[in-house]
Amino acid sequence: MLIFIGVSYAEMNLSPEEIQNRAASWMSWNEKMAKQGVLKEGNALQEDLRRVKGPDRTVTDRTSAELKELIGGYYIVKAADFEGAIEIAQDYPDFDLGGTVEVREVMHYN
Amino acid sequence: MAHQKMMDHLFRHHYGKMVSILTRIFGLQHLETIEDAIQDTFINAIRAWQGNVPESPEAWLIKAARNRLLDLLRKISAADARVARIEAGVDTIAINELFLDHEVEDSVLRMIFTACHPALNPKDQIAFALKTISGFSGKEIAAALLLKEETVKKRLSRARKMIRVKNLAFEIPGGLDLEQRLERVLEVIYLIFNEGFHSNRKDILIREDLCGEAMRLAKTLHSNSFTATPESYALFALFCFQSARLRSKINDQKEIISLQEQDRSRWYQPLILLGHQTMDKAVSATETFSCYHYEAAIAAEHVRASTYEETDWDKILLWYEQLDRLEHSPLNLLNIAVVQLQRRDLEAVKNLLESIQPNLLEQRAYLYYGTYAEYAHQIGNREQALALIDQAIALVENEAESGYLKRKKAKYQMS
Repeated sequence: MLIFIGVSYAEMNLSPEEIQNRAASWMSWNEKMAKQGVLKEGNALQEDLRRVKGPDRTVTDRTSAELKELIGGYYIVKAADFEGAIEIAQDYPDFDLGGTVEVREVMHYN
Repeated sequence: MAHQKMMDHLFRHHYGKMVSILTRIFGLQHLETIEDAIQDTFINAIRAWQGNVPESPEAWLIKAARNRLLDLLRKISAADARVARIEAGVDTIAINELFLDHEVEDSVLRMIFTACHPALNPKDQIAFALKTISGFSGKEIAAALLLKEETVKKRLSRARKMIRVKNLAFEIPGGLDLEQRLERVLEVIYLIFNEGFHSNRKDILIREDLCGEAMRLAKTLHSNSFTATPESYALFALFCFQSARLRSKINDQKEIISLQEQDRSRWYQPLILLGHQTMDKAVSATETFSCYHYEAAIAAEHVRASTYEETDWDKILLWYEQLDRLEHSPLNLLNIAVVQLQRRDLEAVKNLLESIQPNLLEQRAYLYYGTYAEYAHQIGNREQALALIDQAIALVENEAESGYLKRKKAKYQMS
C-alpha cells in the first residue's frame, strides 16, 4: 500500500496552470500503472476529517488547514517486495511539494 | 504525455471563462468566492479525473464549480435570504444557454471591461486582468511583470476593493461611453502584449504566455460587433506580425538577436498570414487610422522583407512619421532616427537625436545612447561611439539587451 502524505493543494495557492500540470502527472502515473497491471485499487480522500479519540470517544473536528501532514489518498499496488513498491512510488507527482509516500505491506492471513 | 497535449492550458483558459460566467450569474460582489470555488473545482478534478478525462471537460468543470460555489455561498451566509433567491434563480436560468460560445464570449467581454474600468488604478488593471481573465496566480503575475509577489497582492486587493466600493456593473458599456472605455481596453491589452514581447524576461515561455494572453483578449473583442472595431483588428494584426518573430528573437543562449541577424525562415508564416488577413479587416471599414494601424503597418513591412537588405525603409519611415503626427512622442522620434540611420541619411539622424531629451524616454533611454553610438560609429568618431555605448550599457537593465550592446562595443573597439 502506498500512502500519500503531504500538505493540501488548496492551501498552496497553486495557479490553474500548476494544478493542471499536477492533474496530468497523476493521470500519466495512473495510466502507466494500469498498463503494467500493478494498480489494484486506490482512493483520494476528502480533506474534511473528524478524530475520535480516548475512552470518552471525544470527537474533534479538524480542518485540513490546521494539519501540517495530511493523508491525501492511497493506492494498493502489486509488487514482489518493498523494492518493487518503491520503484512504483518513484512517479508520485508531489515530491517537489514536500510530499511523502509511505510504503506498507498489506497483511494477508492464510 | 497525451493528456498534457489534449488539455493544453485547459485550466488556465477556462479559468477566465468560468469566472466570467459565474460572475454574470452571481454578481461581481461574489467575485472572490467565485474564484475560490473554481480553484477548489480544479483541485477536485485531479482526483475525479484519475481514471480518465470526462468527455466534455469544460461542462464537467463548470457544473462542478457552480455546485461548489453554491456550497460556499451557503456556508458564508446561511441566514442570508438572498442566497436562497440566487439558488432559485440559478435553477431557472437555462444554464446551458450561458455556455453557448457567444454567451461565454459576452461574459468574458464584460470581465475585460470591468478589469479596464476607469475606476481602477491603471497599474491594478493589468494585474487584475491577468488574474481574473487569464488565470495567472499572484506568483505568475509577479514573475511576468517583474514585480514582488507582495506588490501584486496589493494591486489585486485594491482592484477588488474598488469594484466593491464603486459597485461596478458587470456590463459592456453602451453609447458614448463605449468608445472611450474600449480605448482603455485596447491600451491594457497592448501593454500586456508588450510586457511579453519587449519584456526583460529571458524565459521564452513567460513571454509567450503574455503575448498569447493578449492575443486571446484581443480576439474576444472581435466576437462582438460593438467591439470589433478597425482599431481592435489593427491591434490584433500587430500582435500577429510581432508574435511570428517571437521565437527567433532569442537564441538558445538566451541572447537577443537583432532584426538584422534573425533567421527569417523561422518566422511563423501562418501568423503572418493571419496578420495580413486581419489587417484587411482593419483598413476596409475606415478612412482614419489609429496608432495601432501604423504600428501594424510597420511590423508588416518588416515581416514582408525576405532579407534585411530588402526592407523598405522609405515606407517604414512614412508610417513612423504618420504615427508621430497622430501621437507625438520622443520614442517615435528615436524610431525615426533608427530608420534614417538605415537609410544613411546621417544629417537627419543627427537633427533628430539632438531634438530628443533622453530623460523623457525613461527606462528606454539606453536605446537613445545606443542609437547615438551607432551614429557616431558611422561618421567615424570612434571615441564618441565608445563613450556613448558605455552610457547605454550603464543604463540597460535587461541582460540580453546588455549583451547585445556589449557585442556592439566590441565591434566599435575593433574599428
